[in-house]
Amino acid sequence: MFPYRGYAGKCLYVDLTSGKIETREYDKALAENYLGGNGFGTRLLWENVGPEVDALAPENLLIFSTGPLCGTIVPNPGRMEVIGKSPLTGIYGDANTGGFLGPEFKFAGWDAVVITGQSPRPVYLAIADNQVELRDASHLWGLTTSQTENAIRQAWGDPRVKTATIGPAGENLVRFAGIQITPQRSAARCGLGAVMGSKRLKAIAVRGHGPIRVADPHRLHKVAIALHKRLRANPIFPAVHAHGTPGIVSLMDALGRFPTQNFRMGSFSYVDRINADTLRARAFVRDLACFGCPVACDKLYCVPDGPYAETALRSVEYETVNALGACIWNANLDALLAANRLCDELGLDTISAGRVISFAMELWDEEILNLDDTGGLALYWGDMDTVLPLLRMIAYREGFGNLLAEGVRRAAQTIGRGAERYAMHVKGMEIAAQDGRAQKSMGLAHVTSTRGADHLKAFPVIDETGYPDEGRRRYGEQYLPDIVQPLATKHKAFLVKDGEDFGAVVDSVGMCKSGGTFVLAEIYWPDIAAALEAATGMEMPVEQLQRIGERIYNLQRCYNALHGITRADDKLPRRFSEEASPSGNAKGQTIDIEPMLEEYYQLRGWDAETGWPTAKKLRELGLEGAIERLQR
Amino acid sequence: MHLEAIAEKCTGCRICENFCSVKHEGAIWPERARIRILAETDSGPFTPNVCRQCEDAACAAACPVEAITKDQSTGAWVVNDDECIGCENCVEACPYHAMFFDAESGKAFKCDLCGGEPECVAICPFGAVQKVP
Repeated sequence: MFPYRGYAGKCLYVDLTSGKIETREYDKALAENYLGGNGFGTRLLWENVGPEVDALAPENLLIFSTGPLCGTIVPNPGRMEVIGKSPLTGIYGDANTGGFLGPEFKFAGWDAVVITGQSPRPVYLAIADNQVELRDASHLWGLTTSQTENAIRQAWGDPRVKTATIGPAGENLVRFAGIQITPQRSAARCGLGAVMGSKRLKAIAVRGHGPIRVADPHRLHKVAIALHKRLRANPIFPAVHAHGTPGIVSLMDALGRFPTQNFRMGSFSYVDRINADTLRARAFVRDLACFGCPVACDKLYCVPDGPYAETALRSVEYETVNALGACIWNANLDALLAANRLCDELGLDTISAGRVISFAMELWDEEILNLDDTGGLALYWGDMDTVLPLLRMIAYREGFGNLLAEGVRRAAQTIGRGAERYAMHVKGMEIAAQDGRAQKSMGLAHVTSTRGADHLKAFPVIDETGYPDEGRRRYGEQYLPDIVQPLATKHKAFLVKDGEDFGAVVDSVGMCKSGGTFVLAEIYWPDIAAALEAATGMEMPVEQLQRIGERIYNLQRCYNALHGITRADDKLPRRFSEEASPSGNAKGQTIDIEPMLEEYYQLRGWDAETGWPTAKKLRELGLEGAIERLQR
Repeated sequence: MHLEAIAEKCTGCRICENFCSVKHEGAIWPERARIRILAETDSGPFTPNVCRQCEDAACAAACPVEAITKDQSTGAWVVNDDECIGCENCVEACPYHAMFFDAESGKAFKCDLCGGEPECVAICPFGAVQKVP
């Protein structure tokens, strides 16, 4: 009998090739050593999907994984993970989502769903508490994400069914297709929507009516109330609540950290037309929250008039405002919102979709691409009359869209003629809306992230703009002032390592990085340890929790090492070291990550030459099996 | 005392349902919450639906065994589990859909104002549920 509370205690294993559905008890050792969520998926991928398996082959796993605090009463507990090998990068892949799906899995009695194989025809997985079955989805294939969700709800006669669906982009194996999650949220990155498409799994639909039982409700209540109170008293809370992530658009622009024209610049001349104030004035309808979140950073927006009138959407994030705004030189907010909505419907990651387009626009500008290459499309900066149809062409792999559907790295290789110089990615993952020249820790974070260029693994927010109080509280006086200064490199290896380990834990318990843990920098190691003890009944000293975070991150690195990743791959595009940032706070800055990287490997206990975890480190983390596997 | 919902302040986060169920059931269990968020769509508008603690309570009037009585100290109508026969007349009688039925125990359940200090009021981040004396 699985001994811990907080968990539902059981998982679904679904083989789409045979149609077999199996229930397994949650693995006790896995819970103790990897918690759940991200850690659970990492371990399963490590054990079951070797380097010989193509990401789009039936043998790849697609793991939907909640954690022990997901769906509980701690603040922002609505998060869940999707894990699999990424068809975009060919290495470890994960995507995280907020919303209401994770808690619904647990109310239905399941901690995770592990999917393998390939169905002979389109299906969806229907989970109604204990009743689980694969249903025909032929009639849903081809539908957009919201059409799919609506059709499933209508068929069930229950508007509270939660879904994970792919759109045409996932069906057509676009390498950066995301998975759309109730309500209009997205497990966007790493192309896991294409993995779902390759398995012919159109959707997962869940409805649960049961309880989430915890070990010590009184203690958890006490811990949770204290955390809720601290979040509400946090000085940044009002701003995050008022504007959500778009609240930092103007600030990042002033810092020269707001990628513009495919990272040629770090500031956008027309930023006032797409910033948080303009967005609110133009389209705000109401505040919205994910499950159990007191921050409520989400908003419903609706374009009131004009050519894009009645475009309604939520989850408009900083990243998308950049990707479909400044980075493609688009200052038309209405068109930006329409493009965001279109990506959601087609099931495209807005970040990578925006980046392949800004990449193509720069190639057009540099005259590397011409009308013959693009099939007659002129790719002028900011031309939304081209961008909107191009997004569709990507999702349906039509014409020039078929090339961009491969992602920046592959597209650059195919185009040749010096295109690679403009391909802004690390390990095949398009870089999101940060710039290592303007925030040195972010440059390091981009290369050490286990899913390719990514800000959310280390998520160093403390030196984005400089939060001295938070820096002092979290790390102590000895790291100040450098640790909170965006342009300083000192202590940034430490900041990045701590963020990666802590982030792995946050993603494994089911909490949010945009809420209390990183953006508000309020909830930290001891808080999660206390909540875990109360919810699960495990003993969880802080050092043990830190070791779990380190174990998860090291195993992801080992997984990538198996796939041939070495120190040579931990590098930024040349633009960041060769072209000085032309604007904002970062004017004149380039970035040299090598000294920070050297320090980082040392702190990690990784070999400086290969960039692989050493045997000593792996033994220390109880990963003896990995030593042998890496030696082979 | 009774509770009043200020619908335009509700973000649909369901923190009230979660804390309510922990208070009354010792588990996070929205299907057993005494307060329920009604949502027109996933993105609202939302209305926290609460028991009005009516002067002339339809639930109490419908109860054939007088199991629903008023707690004079809080003003809450409460279900006496020992008396409740599980006929569900009260569930049908409540015009506000604020009376619920637990099929497992065979008993009706409703908001009891937490003995005077309602969890939902204390925890709602935006004051969408308030106490009215």
